[in-house]
Amino acid sequence: MTTKAVSAREVTVRWRLSRHSRRLLTLALAALLLAVLSRRPELAGVAAPALLLLAAGLPRQARPARMSVLVKPGATRLFEGEPAWVDVGLSELAGLDARWALQPGKGIEPASATAVPAATARFEFTIPRWGKRQAGVVELQLHDRWRLTEGRAVVPLPLLDVYPRPGIQEETVTLSRLPSRLGEHVARVPGEGAEFAGLREYVPGDRQRQINWPASTRRGRLMVNTFAAERSQDVVLVVDATSDVGEPGTSALDYALRGAAAAARAYLARRDRVGVITYQWGSARWLAPSLGRRQVYKIIDSMLQADATWAQGASFARLPRAALPPGTLVVAFSPLLDQRFVESLRDLRERGFALLVVDVLNVSPPARRLALPSGADTLARKVWQMEQQAIRFSLRELGVPVVHWDGTAPLDLPLAPYTRRPLVVRR
Amino acid sequence: MNRAGPRVAAALLGLACVAWSAVPVLRTGWPWLALIVAAASVAFSALRMAMLDVPEPEEAYFLSLSGRAWRNFLTAVRLPPWEEIGGAFVLWLEVLHPSRPWHTAILGIVLIAWLLTVHIAESDASPAGLLRRQARVLVPGLCLLALAAGASALPAVSPGAGAEALEVLAAVAVIAAAILVLPG
Repeated sequence: MTTKAVSAREVTVRWRLSRHSRRLLTLALAALLLAVLSRRPELAGVAAPALLLLAAGLPRQARPARMSVLVKPGATRLFEGEPAWVDVGLSELAGLDARWALQPGKGIEPASATAVPAATARFEFTIPRWGKRQAGVVELQLHDRWRLTEGRAVVPLPLLDVYPRPGIQEETVTLSRLPSRLGEHVARVPGEGAEFAGLREYVPGDRQRQINWPASTRRGRLMVNTFAAERSQDVVLVVDATSDVGEPGTSALDYALRGAAAAARAYLARRDRVGVITYQWGSARWLAPSLGRRQVYKIIDSMLQADATWAQGASFARLPRAALPPGTLVVAFSPLLDQRFVESLRDLRERGFALLVVDVLNVSPPARRLALPSGADTLARKVWQMEQQAIRFSLRELGVPVVHWDGTAPLDLPLAPYTRRPLVVRR
Repeated sequence: MNRAGPRVAAALLGLACVAWSAVPVLRTGWPWLALIVAAASVAFSALRMAMLDVPEPEEAYFLSLSGRAWRNFLTAVRLPPWEEIGGAFVLWLEVLHPSRPWHTAILGIVLIAWLLTVHIAESDASPAGLLRRQARVLVPGLCLLALAAGASALPAVSPGAGAEALEVLAAVAVIAAAILVLPG
C-alpha cells in the first residue's frame, strides 16, 4: 500500500573472538601447558599452527565499531495476509563477510529464508492478523576474511500498520430523510439532480431546456421536467470492541473490523461523510464524519487502536455532537454480547438516530467433551441462545434492523432488504 | 560440495584424533577417563554438526513436557564447547602415553584439520577460499610442528646419517617458515 523511502541507520557493532578463534586458542594454550608440564617440545609444536593463525589473522583487518545499515520496507501499511518484505543492506562492506538473520516479531510469518549470507538481503513475510505489528529485528553478523573475529549488530525493523482485510460491500443503505448537502443519493425532494422526478406546469423563470415538449403537446400547455435532489448523508460506523470471541482471525472483532472497513469504503465511494466510533474498554474512541479517500485509512487507523477487553461502561451520551451529528445513519458491527453496548444502542435509537445492526456473532459456547448426565449443559446452551434471541428481538421491536453477517459472504447479501429502498426512520 | 560433506569429514577427523591419541589403549585410571571424555566430546560435537539445521521450538508459555525435554536436549548439545573439551582431553591422553614425537606431530595436524573442518561445516564458508587465505600461515605452522617433533626426536636417535638428515630437515623447515611468515 504505502512505500517508505530507504532509511539509513547507524548501528553499533560489538566485536569478539569467533568460535573458531576460541577453539584455536584453547588448543594452543592446552598444548603449551602440557608441553611445559610434561617437558615435551613436540606439544609446543602442536600449538604452533594455531598460534600463527591467531597472530597473523587477528590484527590483519580493521573492525568498524559503527556501520550504516540501509533498511527499506516494501510497505508500512498493508492489509492482513498481503505479502510484505523488508530489504536490508550495508552501505559499505569494508572487506567483511556479512550474514543477516531475521528474528520475526510476534504474529509475523516468514515466507522466505530467515538467514542470508550476503551484503544485502530481502526478507519476505506475511502478517495474518490486523494490528500494529513490529516486523521484528534483523541480526547482522560480520566476519573478517579469516573468520577469526565476529561482529554482531541488531537492526530493529519498522512498525507496520496491518489493516483488516475489508469485506465486500457494493450497495449502501440510504436514509429517507437526507440533510441538504450535495451528494449522490437521490432524495425525495425536488432539486437539481439528474434523476427524473415528474412533471409540472411551466412558470416564468423556468429554463427552456427543461420543457418536456411531448407532454406539453399532449396537454396543450407548457410542462417542465422536475428532477430529484441529490444529497449525501452522514454515516457513523460503530464497532463493538468489548468482546472478541472465536478463533483469532475469524473472531467477532475480526469480522466487525472487516465489515466496518468495507462499509467505510462503500459509503465514501458514494461521497457520504463517514465517521467511526469504537466502543471499547472504559471509553469510546471516535472520529468525526468526513469525506475523501484518506478518511478510509483514518477510520481504519482509529479502529486499530481497539483493544478487545471488557468494557467498563462507556456511554454514547457523552460523545460530542461532532462524533454523532443529528440525522446520522448509524451502522453498528457487534456480536451483541455486552449488555452495556446493547443498552447504548437502545439509547441511540431512543434519541432518534437511524440505526442498523450487523450481528457478527458466529460462535456459540463450546460444548463439554463429557456432558453432564443431568443435561445441564444442553439446558445452559439453550438458555444462552434464547437470551441472544431476546436481545435481537428487543432491538427489532425498537425499530432497529438486525442482520447477521457470517464474515465471508459479501455484506450486500444480509443488507439487501435495506439497500433496495431508503431506510425510513420513525422518530 | 553439499553441506553434509564437511559435517561427515569433521566427525571422521574427530574420531581419528581420539583413536590416534588412544592407541595403544591404556585401560588404567586417568587414560581411561581422558579417553571417555574425549570420545564423548567428539561424539557430541558430531551430533551438534548433524543438528545444525534443526530449529529450536518456538517460545510458548506452556510448553509440553516433550517440547521442554527437546529444547533442553538441544541446549545441552549446542551450548557447551565440545571441540575445546575434546581437543584438550585428546592432548592429555597423548601426554599420558610414553613420548612419541612424530606420533604427536601427526596428532597435531589431524587436530588442526578437525578444527578447520568443524569451522567450515558450521559457517558454510567455502573450504577452498578459507584454506587458500590461511595456507601461508598454516604451512609455516606445520613446519614449526615438524621442527618441534624433530627436535624432540633428536636425543633419541644415535649419531650418524639419520641424525644429520634430521638436522638438515629442521634447518630447512626453519628457513621455509621464516620466508613464508614474512609479510608481503
